[in-house]
Amino acid sequence: MTQALEANPYAPQVARLSRVTDETPTIKTFCFDLDPPLEFRAGQFVQLGVPGLGEGPFTPSSSPLDPAHLEVTVLRTGEVTDRLHRMEAGEVCTLRGPYGKGFPIEKLDGKDVLVVGGGVGLAPLRALIYKLLSMTDRLGRVAIKNGARESAELLFRRQYEDWASRDGVSVEITIDKPEPGWDGNVGVVTTILENVPQEIDIPNCYAFTCGPEIMLKFVTQKLLEKGLEPEQIYLSMNRRMSCGVGKCGRCNIGPYYLCKDGPDICYAKIKDYPNVFP
Amino acid sequence: MGPIVYATEEGLARLLEAVEADEVFAPVCRAGGIEYCNVRARPQEELALREPRPSASPKAFLQPARERVAVYSASGVDTERSRPEVGRRVLLGLRACDLKAIQYLDKVFREGDFTDPFYEARRRNELLISVDCVAVHENCFCTAVGGSPFAEEGFDLNLSPLEEGYLVEVGSEKGQAVIDRAPDAVAEATDEKRRERDRRRAASVERLKEQTGGWQVSDRIQETLLNKEKDQTWGEQAAACVECGACTFICPTCHCFYLYDQAGSEEEFERIRVCDSCIFGDYHRMAGPAGAKPTPRPALRTRLANRLLHKYAYSPQQYGMLGCTGCGRCIEACYGGIDIRDVLKELES
Repeated sequence: MTQALEANPYAPQVARLSRVTDETPTIKTFCFDLDPPLEFRAGQFVQLGVPGLGEGPFTPSSSPLDPAHLEVTVLRTGEVTDRLHRMEAGEVCTLRGPYGKGFPIEKLDGKDVLVVGGGVGLAPLRALIYKLLSMTDRLGRVAIKNGARESAELLFRRQYEDWASRDGVSVEITIDKPEPGWDGNVGVVTTILENVPQEIDIPNCYAFTCGPEIMLKFVTQKLLEKGLEPEQIYLSMNRRMSCGVGKCGRCNIGPYYLCKDGPDICYAKIKDYPNVFP
Repeated sequence: MGPIVYATEEGLARLLEAVEADEVFAPVCRAGGIEYCNVRARPQEELALREPRPSASPKAFLQPARERVAVYSASGVDTERSRPEVGRRVLLGLRACDLKAIQYLDKVFREGDFTDPFYEARRRNELLISVDCVAVHENCFCTAVGGSPFAEEGFDLNLSPLEEGYLVEVGSEKGQAVIDRAPDAVAEATDEKRRERDRRRAASVERLKEQTGGWQVSDRIQETLLNKEKDQTWGEQAAACVECGACTFICPTCHCFYLYDQAGSEEEFERIRVCDSCIFGDYHRMAGPAGAKPTPRPALRTRLANRLLHKYAYSPQQYGMLGCTGCGRCIEACYGGIDIRDVLKELES
């Protein structure tokens, strides 16, 4: 998005909450019916906040093809998100954006795509998945991998079956520790990346991952081990941001600002700079 | 190079009177040192145009430490009250290093997909009058980072103090308009006066070279700093640093800020911008469960390294110029006695 002349990029719009959906015990989705719609590319983020309290950078989890119905999926983990979680339909939030570059959809023609989520990290990736599902005829295979701490924390669980039913799309799920009644994969998300070379064409793929930074570190290591080049790996990193437009300085990795040059950034760009991973 | 004229002390005073402005901020001599002061409101103050640069940079005139950037309520943003309000202002007595810092801030706030309307409004309403450094502060090292003690661009008017009076160089139409309003305040700049300017400029450069002992920040500084990211020097710095952030607040190019929201009048909220510092532990901290607040730079040494990397390695990639002008202000500001020149020399050795 490029601003209109004289526009104030720091001033928030207000948006009334249309619905709040419980996703997991710690994650809710906040839905806004917007007129005019908020057009965004998958992976671009918005600054969503509570009036008078503050805002944070969140990548919408809804489909970029349906910009009139914006959904933002949020883990309760701090001051703003705690207050957000106590809000109900009809209440007003602050909203501005979209910001950032978004995922490089233009590179995906004819490619296999690997999507790796962890916890609430699947939220921004769902916007990408919606986009991918709308263009499967132009893609090779799409492998979706997702992990959570426990089965109750598996995000968007009701949709996995639908995704997996699409042509060329597979979904594989894991939870960190065994639990009664769970007969699926157990182990951190990297354990379900072992078979990636059998599922997608490594030299002809792109991988997109989002989750806790420690997970991004091990997913990246695993993907490199499986033969992906740094150029093929995109990390979605919504670090602490304030302005969202590349001015306030805090979200840098090397010379890149995650707000402006990301938040979905190619690992090849950042790998040689300090403080990429914890 | 623009047209050059000559003004006596009195001529300069008349030129300044001719400027249409609400405020004229200039360095003046005070008991505690040199400070910026609105000399339009206090004409009795003694201008400090022949002294070394003041300890304060003029950054606050372009990006104040605290500023309201929006007013909003549940029904939306109050567009009228979320606009910049600026008067016409003259910044007088800026040094070449200050102009370079403004050039840097321009790249940050005026370029890219988004411009900062507050910075933009101030820049458009400000007239910049720089002055050659005929005296040099002991911490100055502009020549070591490709700078010089006199400006050749970036000003509306530039003053070169001579033994008597000033040469006044015009750098823009805005600057020419000032001269045009008081044509009798200036006279021809004779060859002799121009030669005096050149001699004085060369003398300042010479003094700086003596002061820096010929040391230059090398072209390989980016590479050096990136390679030495884990160097022990950062640990030594961290031991001396008290995390006050003074180096960042006094730096003419440091521009980090934070936006926070607060209750305004009844049913209204305000968004406030305050300057922030990458030295602070909370600066990069993300939300997270108590006891596990993740931050990409938990150790002070990594934050100190990030700051210098930004100045010398990242800024050239982001903005095509160093983020350091060699003004040396961070040296006198540091409570821990950290001297950026020594840090750079050690890292480069």
